Amino acid sequence: MTAAPKNETTGESEKPTALPTDLPKDASRRLKELEDGLFTSDLSVNEFLLVKEVGFHPLGFVMGSSIYHTGLQVRKFTKSEELTKLTEAMYNARELAMTRMEEEADELGADGVVGVRLDVNYYEWGNDAAEFIAMGTAVKAENGQSYRNKVGKPFTSDLSGQDFWTIMQTGHVPQGLVMGTCVYHIAHRGLGQAISSMGQNVELPNFTQALYEARELAMTRMQDEANELGASGIVGVRLEEKSHQWGSHTIEFLSLGTAVTKTSAEVTLPRPTTIISLDN
Amino acid sequence: MSSVPSDIPAESEGRLSAPSFSSGLTVPDFAACLQMGLEPVGLVQGYCVMKWSFYGAGSPYMRGMGAYQYNTQQGAYSESYQCPHGYVGGEHISWGQNFEQTMVEAAWTQGFTSAYSRLLEEATEAGGHGVIGLVDTVRSLTDQAVVEFHLLGTAVVVSDAPGPPDGRPWTTYLAGQRLAKLVEAGFMPVSIAASMASVQVWPYCMTEYYLRGQGGTYRWSPQYATSEIEQLSRAQMAVCRLAREHVRAQLGTDTLYGATFAASDYESSGGPVLEATLRGNRVRRFKAFDRLDPPRPTVRLT
Repeated sequence: MTAAPKNETTGESEKPTALPTDLPKDASRRLKELEDGLFTSDLSVNEFLLVKEVGFHPLGFVMGSSIYHTGLQVRKFTKSEELTKLTEAMYNARELAMTRMEEEADELGADGVVGVRLDVNYYEWGNDAAEFIAMGTAVKAENGQSYRNKVGKPFTSDLSGQDFWTIMQTGHVPQGLVMGTCVYHIAHRGLGQAISSMGQNVELPNFTQALYEARELAMTRMQDEANELGASGIVGVRLEEKSHQWGSHTIEFLSLGTAVTKTSAEVTLPRPTTIISLDN
Repeated sequence: MSSVPSDIPAESEGRLSAPSFSSGLTVPDFAACLQMGLEPVGLVQGYCVMKWSFYGAGSPYMRGMGAYQYNTQQGAYSESYQCPHGYVGGEHISWGQNFEQTMVEAAWTQGFTSAYSRLLEEATEAGGHGVIGLVDTVRSLTDQAVVEFHLLGTAVVVSDAPGPPDGRPWTTYLAGQRLAKLVEAGFMPVSIAASMASVQVWPYCMTEYYLRGQGGTYRWSPQYATSEIEQLSRAQMAVCRLAREHVRAQLGTDTLYGATFAASDYESSGGPVLEATLRGNRVRRFKAFDRLDPPRPTVRLT
């Protein structure tokens, strides 16, 4: 147990702020300062202005992290299948990072987090260990209306400030950054298969089926998350593929997007003005 | 179209019938889509993994067996080049050939069409009238002869409008303001159009000298001369022409809009292979052109 940090001017022990259990104690002072009105943000100036324009104020830069050990799972050379243990690991690790970021935002009394980035880093010192980081800018509505999602948590979104402004003009409100993942092992072709298709143009149905199924699983899981939030849709869906450190036949398919709820049928986005640049 | 898998995976049926939609559109494109009266209903996709063989008569293993008029009986492009030097020796490359690799083109077309058909199946399953913002990716999976075709787009319903008369969703690479401008210009999307052309070059002695600067006496050595490499120039022109012809054959009386052309080449053991792909939007006029508002001139002050 570490001693409570001391105030540098008074020498008195600072009263620890009540924090969610799995946030580091060092987060206390930073969040306390943010609660006092100072804000930090990774928004650009334009993003900041647009977030303000739509009636939100940035509260602070929030983040969550998890260093996760991804275990081993036996792969069959000639069988395409989902590697469920690795899928669970990749999902849980991101979920932990996201939850911790949400806890920081919750601590600030935020309505949501915009510009969320989800990164995975590998370090030399950790075999099969990866750091999952989620970070974004917590925001709060200036009119006092709550924009928290159906489960009472601050919404999360990977939308930029510009996208946040635009989506609000369409009568949609973000509900949460939703994701689905699937780690899939794609079978190697056997010698017999290779010989039988020699000299022909043929579809490789096993490969087609494996890739199709893996991406669909990731997308279905993402959609399930959106349904749990009562969202009417997901915008800006991205499909990412990475082999991480598993070799070319084992791929993580990650599907990410921002779940939104329709709150108004009216689209208040003005008709765009056509411009012609006179710059050289 | 291959028979396996003719159906979309079971997982996608549940996803596409879910109450919430998914969309690969960016937020600006999503907003423009709503402004145009298009409601997204689901992210749809199609896949096909193809393997294609070594090229039969076009194989480099046939090299040195004499001039071969590859596929001329099918009307495919082929040109032969004869050495101007007469007999020099056994090592001398006395002939060369450019020929269209119809087998490669057929494999590409089969893979693309299969993936496209599956995308349409998903769009129909989702109840979409059309698919916008289509992105297609063609990439090598494990080696150059195993290629994945992946098409992804957002199925949409046109508000207060009946579905397409033949029940087949229309498709376009366009989305957002580019699609809005197309409609304002009086055109409606019909489908995407895409083709690939491939030409193998078997260099004859002159081309070989230019490319590698090898062999020949001073009188014959063109590395000292400035000259067009005719065989390669003609192959390059042929591959561009073939890609255009393949797409034109898909258009009927419609127009191609927003086309992108990509040329590439790689070295095979038989010589250079030139490839070209042409993708675009097949569009049809449905009303007169609405004049745009005059654009506002801007100057950046930074």
